[in-house]
Amino acid sequence: MIHAQTLTKRFGSRTAVDGIDFTVRPGQVTGLLGPNGAGKSSTMRMIVGLDRPTRGEVKVNGRAYREHRAPLREVGVLLDAKAAHPGRTARKHLLALAATHGIEAARVREVIELAGLESAADRRAGSFSLGMGQRLGIAAALLGDPATVILDEPVNGLDPEGVLWVRTLLRTLAAEGRTVLLSSHLMSEMAQTADHLIVLGRGRVLADAPLRDLIDGATASAVRVRTPQLSRLASAITGHGITVTTLDDGAALVMGMSPEHIGNAAAAAGVPLYEVAAVAGSLEDAYMSITADEAEYRSLTTTAHKERS
Amino acid sequence: MSAAVLPVRPGIPADSRLRFSGILRSEWIKLTSLRSTLWSLLTIILVGIGLSFVLALTMESAGVPDEPSVRFTLSIVAIGAACGQFVAAVLGVLAISGEYSTKMVQSTLAAVPSRLPVLAAKAMVLLGLVTAVGLVTLFGSWAATYAMFDDLGLAVSLAEPGLAGALLGAALFLGLTATFALGVGAILRSAAGGVAAVLGVLLLLPLALSLLGNSMEWVAAVTPYGFAAAGESMWSIPAGPAAGSPVPGTPLTPGAGGLVVLAWTTMSLVLGALTLRGRDA
Repeated sequence: MIHAQTLTKRFGSRTAVDGIDFTVRPGQVTGLLGPNGAGKSSTMRMIVGLDRPTRGEVKVNGRAYREHRAPLREVGVLLDAKAAHPGRTARKHLLALAATHGIEAARVREVIELAGLESAADRRAGSFSLGMGQRLGIAAALLGDPATVILDEPVNGLDPEGVLWVRTLLRTLAAEGRTVLLSSHLMSEMAQTADHLIVLGRGRVLADAPLRDLIDGATASAVRVRTPQLSRLASAITGHGITVTTLDDGAALVMGMSPEHIGNAAAAAGVPLYEVAAVAGSLEDAYMSITADEAEYRSLTTTAHKERS
Repeated sequence: MSAAVLPVRPGIPADSRLRFSGILRSEWIKLTSLRSTLWSLLTIILVGIGLSFVLALTMESAGVPDEPSVRFTLSIVAIGAACGQFVAAVLGVLAISGEYSTKMVQSTLAAVPSRLPVLAAKAMVLLGLVTAVGLVTLFGSWAATYAMFDDLGLAVSLAEPGLAGALLGAALFLGLTATFALGVGAILRSAAGGVAAVLGVLLLLPLALSLLGNSMEWVAAVTPYGFAAAGESMWSIPAGPAAGSPVPGTPLTPGAGGLVVLAWTTMSLVLGALTLRGRDA
C-alpha cells in the first residue's frame, strides 16, 4: 500500500508534481501513465526517498520509506536500468545491495536465475545491453522479496520475450498479494498489464480508476454497422447526441446508440443490416480523451502513438 | 495495514534488516569489486617501494650521513607516503563521485534511505583499507632497502626510537587522505571537481601559503596547520629527544600533526554528510 497526500515537487520554478493524492493498493498492478515529464519518475523517486517532497508526503505501508527497519524487504525499486556501476559485475552489484540487509548469496543466486542472467552474472554491468540492464534492475528490486514493487519503464529496451516475462512477473507478484506500481508511456503495455491506472499530466492526476472503467467512461460507445441503405438507416436513427460516420470500407460508425436500439430501429424501418458490432474503446482513445483538455499534450500523445507502432 | 503475508525465501534470514555491519560489508564489497580500486592500491605499493628502492640504490652518490640516522632513513623509505597521497586522494573522491556519475547512488540510497550510514561505512572501509596498504608500502620500503643501508653501515632497525612510529604515521596519513577526499567527493559529487579540489588542498595550498608567508607573518604562522604540512609532520622526527618536542620548522609534534589532519578529515566528512542528507540524490 502506497499513500500520497498533496505530494508536491518543485525544481526551481518548474512544478514536476503538483499536490497529488493517490493510493496504490495491494493485489493488483497499478499503472502510472503519462507522457515524459508528466511527473511519473519524480513521484516514484519521492516514494523511496531519493527526492524530498517540496510539500505533502508519501507513505509506504503506513510509514515514510526511510523509517522502515528493512527498506529492501518493504519496497523493491527499479528506477533506471543503468543504476549500477559499469565496472562491477552483476553478481557483485547484487551481493553489495544484499549485504546491507544481511541477505545471503543464495538469494542473490535466486534472483539472478529469476531474471535470466545466469550466463551474464560475472560480466561487468558496463557491457550490458539496455535489456540486460533492465533485468539486472529487476533482479535487484526483487532481492528482498518485497511487499511492494515499483518499476519505472521496465520494458524499455527489452526484447518481446523479455516484455512478456515482465508482464507475467508483475501479474504473478500482484496475484501473490503484493503492491505493484509500474510506470510507462507505452499504452499497449499498460493495457495488457495494469488493473488500475493513474494518469498523470503536467504533475496532476488526470484520472485514477480501474482500467476497464477508464476506457468505458472516457470513450463513447460506438457501433459498427454495414448496410446497403445507409441513408435510410441514418434517418431512422436520428436523435440527440447520435452521430453516423462513414468509414473507408463502406461501413459506418454509429455513436450514441446501443446495438440493440440500432437493430430495432432498422427492423422497424425495413433496412437490412449485414453487420452490427459494438466497438470497444481502446486505452489509447480513452487517454486521448482524458488529456484532450491539456492542449500542451496533443503533440506528446502523438509521439506516444508513434513509439507504440 | 494490509501488508501481504510472504512466504519465507531461502537466503533471506527471518530477521533480515538494515544494520550498520551489513552496510559496512556492502561498502567493502563495492570498493574491492572494482578493478580501479585494485589498480590504485597496487600503484601505491609498487610506486612507493619502487621509488624507495631506486633512491636507496643511488643514495651513496647523492650523499649519505656518517652514521645510521632515522631521519635520513625516513627521507628514503617514506617517499611512498609523499607519492601515494595523490593516488589515495583520487581513490577517495571516486569512492563516492563514482556512485553519482553511474547512478549507482540510486540503488545504494534505495537500500539505505537513512543515507548517513553509507558515508560512515565508506569512510571506515577506506580508512582501514588504505591505511593497511600504506603499512605494506612503508614497512615494505624499509625491508626492501634494508640490505643497501646495511652495506653502507647505515641500517636502522625498527626498534630504533621514532622509525616505526613515523612509518605508522605515514600509513595513517594515506588512509586519512583517502577519507578526507571522500568527504570532498560527497560535497562536490563530481570526479573532476573533487579531484581538482583535493589536489588543490594537497599541492597548491601549501605552495600558495609558503609564497604568501614570505611577506605575511600570520600566513607563515598558519602554514603548518594545512592538511599536507600537518600530514608531513606525522612521519617526521621531532627536533629534541624530549617527549612533546615539535618537528623542526613547525610547532607540531607528530601526534599533534595527526590530530590536525584528523580535524580536516572530520570537517570534510561533516560537510559531505550535510550535503548527502540535504540534497536530492
